Amino acid sequence: MTEHPNHETQITIEGFEQVDSLVSSVTVYAPKSKPSEEEQSRVYDCPNCGATTAYDVAGGGVACEHCGYISPVKSKTLGKIADEFEFTLETISQAERGWGIKRQGLHCNACGAELSLPQGVISTSCPYCASNQVNLTTSLEVFIQPRFLIPFKITIEQTHQLSKTWLGKGWFHPDELSASSVIRRFSGIYLPFWTFDANVTAHWKAQVGYQKTVRHYNASQKRWETRTKIEWRWENGTVPINIDDHLVTGSSSQHISHKILEQIYPYQMKDLTAYHPDYLAGWQAQAYETTLTDAWETGKQAIREAAKEACYQDIPTSHVRNFSMTADFADESWRYILLPVYLAAYKFEDKTYQIMVNGQTGLVAGQKPVAWWKIWLAIGAFLLPGLILGLIGLPLLLVGGAGILPIGAGIILFGIGIVLSIMLYNKARQSEAK
Amino acid sequence: MMVQQVTPLKIIEEGQRLWDSDRQPAGCTHCHRTFLAHDSHIDSSCPLCRIGHLEPQALQINPAEPERMLPFRIKTEHLRSIFTQFSSGVWIKPEDFTTENLFQRTQKIYWPLWLVDSDVKGQWQMEAGFDYQVESSKEYFQDSQWRSRKIVEDRIRWEPRLGGIKYHVDNVPVPALEEHQNRQQMTGAYRLENAGPFHLDQSNDALIEAPDLPPTDAWPLAKPQVNKKLSQVCAEASGAQHSRNFSITAKYQNLNWTQFLLPMYTSYYQDDEGTPQILVINGETGEIQGPRLASQKRGWRIAAIIGGIAAVLLLLALLGFLISPIFPPASILAVFSGIFGFTAGIGALIPAIWPSQWNRKNQSPVIIKRD
Ligand SMILES: [Zn+2]
Ligand SMILES: [Zn+2]
Ligand SMILES: [Zn+2]
Repeated sequence: MTEHPNHETQITIEGFEQVDSLVSSVTVYAPKSKPSEEEQSRVYDCPNCGATTAYDVAGGGVACEHCGYISPVKSKTLGKIADEFEFTLETISQAERGWGIKRQGLHCNACGAELSLPQGVISTSCPYCASNQVNLTTSLEVFIQPRFLIPFKITIEQTHQLSKTWLGKGWFHPDELSASSVIRRFSGIYLPFWTFDANVTAHWKAQVGYQKTVRHYNASQKRWETRTKIEWRWENGTVPINIDDHLVTGSSSQHISHKILEQIYPYQMKDLTAYHPDYLAGWQAQAYETTLTDAWETGKQAIREAAKEACYQDIPTSHVRNFSMTADFADESWRYILLPVYLAAYKFEDKTYQIMVNGQTGLVAGQKPVAWWKIWLAIGAFLLPGLILGLIGLPLLLVGGAGILPIGAGIILFGIGIVLSIMLYNKARQSEAK
Repeated sequence: MMVQQVTPLKIIEEGQRLWDSDRQPAGCTHCHRTFLAHDSHIDSSCPLCRIGHLEPQALQINPAEPERMLPFRIKTEHLRSIFTQFSSGVWIKPEDFTTENLFQRTQKIYWPLWLVDSDVKGQWQMEAGFDYQVESSKEYFQDSQWRSRKIVEDRIRWEPRLGGIKYHVDNVPVPALEEHQNRQQMTGAYRLENAGPFHLDQSNDALIEAPDLPPTDAWPLAKPQVNKKLSQVCAEASGAQHSRNFSITAKYQNLNWTQFLLPMYTSYYQDDEGTPQILVINGETGEIQGPRLASQKRGWRIAAIIGGIAAVLLLLALLGFLISPIFPPASILAVFSGIFGFTAGIGALIPAIWPSQWNRKNQSPVIIKRD
């Protein structure tokens, strides 16, 4: 039989590379691992004129302001099919390690300066040579790298217009707010988010009450009477709940107001795009501060509350007692993504207020000062009708029994006025809150 | 596919002795199964059909001593209880179907498998399965409070792998009998990992059955077994715990065929017609298998005896009736013997019908497993 020397080395299957074998007489080839090009530090300058380039929202590519050169981003919009990752024990133990507190150093590849970046900052521009740089390795302590993002769709110019309109809305704010407030420059930033998917099977068990009308004979009144009573029965049920792209912010609440952030939700995940450093050129980007496990804990708590709500929906009546349930999680997966947000602050009468704009949908949210005199006036208007009716009724009561009617109506109107006042007051306070 | 046989088969002449022992080739005059028999086995009845007898004859086999054997773990002293358990389920047994008869007629046999060695050189590919664990959770809500329990689940991640292999596969068991599948079904499974090297003296009191499936015919059955072994090697090389869709293009060289012997007992009893019914016991696990028949003949005989008693009782009843006008107390006798006679008459039907019903249900061999 003829020998075929070197036949092991003849394997040239495209996309495969030799890996370690645990058996000496066997060679093993595995699919090539993708080159991790995004981990290299990148400097953005124009191939035409050498000026600094940045991602241009309107142009949808990296553009040079100086000469007009533009190169489109080579990345695919993936939408909902963007990979989701499992909660493997390996991921969890690595995620729990989190990241250290040391500040990150970045070597400017353009001018050679050594830069010191705040924790978690992914992209920057060099203060010495003004080059825009994107470097994931600067956040080396971050184990998980973002794999997807939604690019900015709203331009800075649109943002100003949207926020002006937003400031003009609502009657209980100062009239001159829209005209006289000075919005400091909006800065576009990619903020870190976790999205979670899961299939939850909820089983509930409870005593469910059914209202029954019973007829009984009242011996003293000598007549039949009816009254309602509640009959309790043990029941149980199963509710399947599909959780799709549940969003949990990866930013610490010390830096970003979660309350305002949640008001600019939702983001349309159909625009989810494979991460490419070009999108970050000239824009700020922040790595996560809340670890995967902490974010999942937050997400899970929200999901199980949603499951509980779904169980209550499943119960046919509103009378429930001794309620218990289990929520069984399955097919859990996560994504680490960057979402576009414009942050700004504006000054009004020497006070600073925060404002955020959804960089994808243009939804605006933020703090708005309140013209309190308008609130007090409104509250007065709410309470006045009841008071007046009461005042009319009182003397009538002294004269004869007829006063009972306006007093009764007055008390009811006053009650309604109190409720409306409290609601308005709270709304006004919310509007100024951080 | 060219198969190179390192161990060619050789004609062993009639009366020629093997392995420095008195074993010589022999065959059954009825079922033509072949054995390597001691002198004492010659002219005895064939343990696998009990119709023909063993006669010396020439055989074309591998003359080398077997390489490995699985020893008898079930000793002869265990057999009585196995036979008793087997026969105890039958009510009206053939006279020949006794524990003692079965025990006396027991024959120890080693039956063969091939063990194939081969040098394999080629290219393989498969999906390699890697174990990993994921964390899941179950949340409990009771008394207005949430409790959380973490659950770890095992999963397999499948990834493509391919590569080259140059490997020596050793001792892959392969069928050596035409009727291998049938035989395997009769004996039940063996735990091959309990096997040891072949010792001639350990096989002294047993017949050794000779292979009748030559390596050229056994190779198509052997190749998938060899490849299965190779898939395990390739999975191990890849650091994987599982493999699937394994395929290999390879040259199989230096094939070496040796024998592996498995222990079994046979015994038999004769049914009503005098036909031998063969029982097979797995010598390693004690599993017994064979037809378990009742005797229709004995059924008729018992029915006849009970029927006779019934007839006598009915006659007595008739007599009692006849003399009751003259002697009134005789009517009591008549009534009682009438009742008993009638009952016995019906009872006689049971042994008459039962054997044929039982045999209809027990046509196929009965298996009794031991642990
Ligand atoms: Zn340029
Ligand atoms: Zn620089
Ligand atoms: Zn025979």
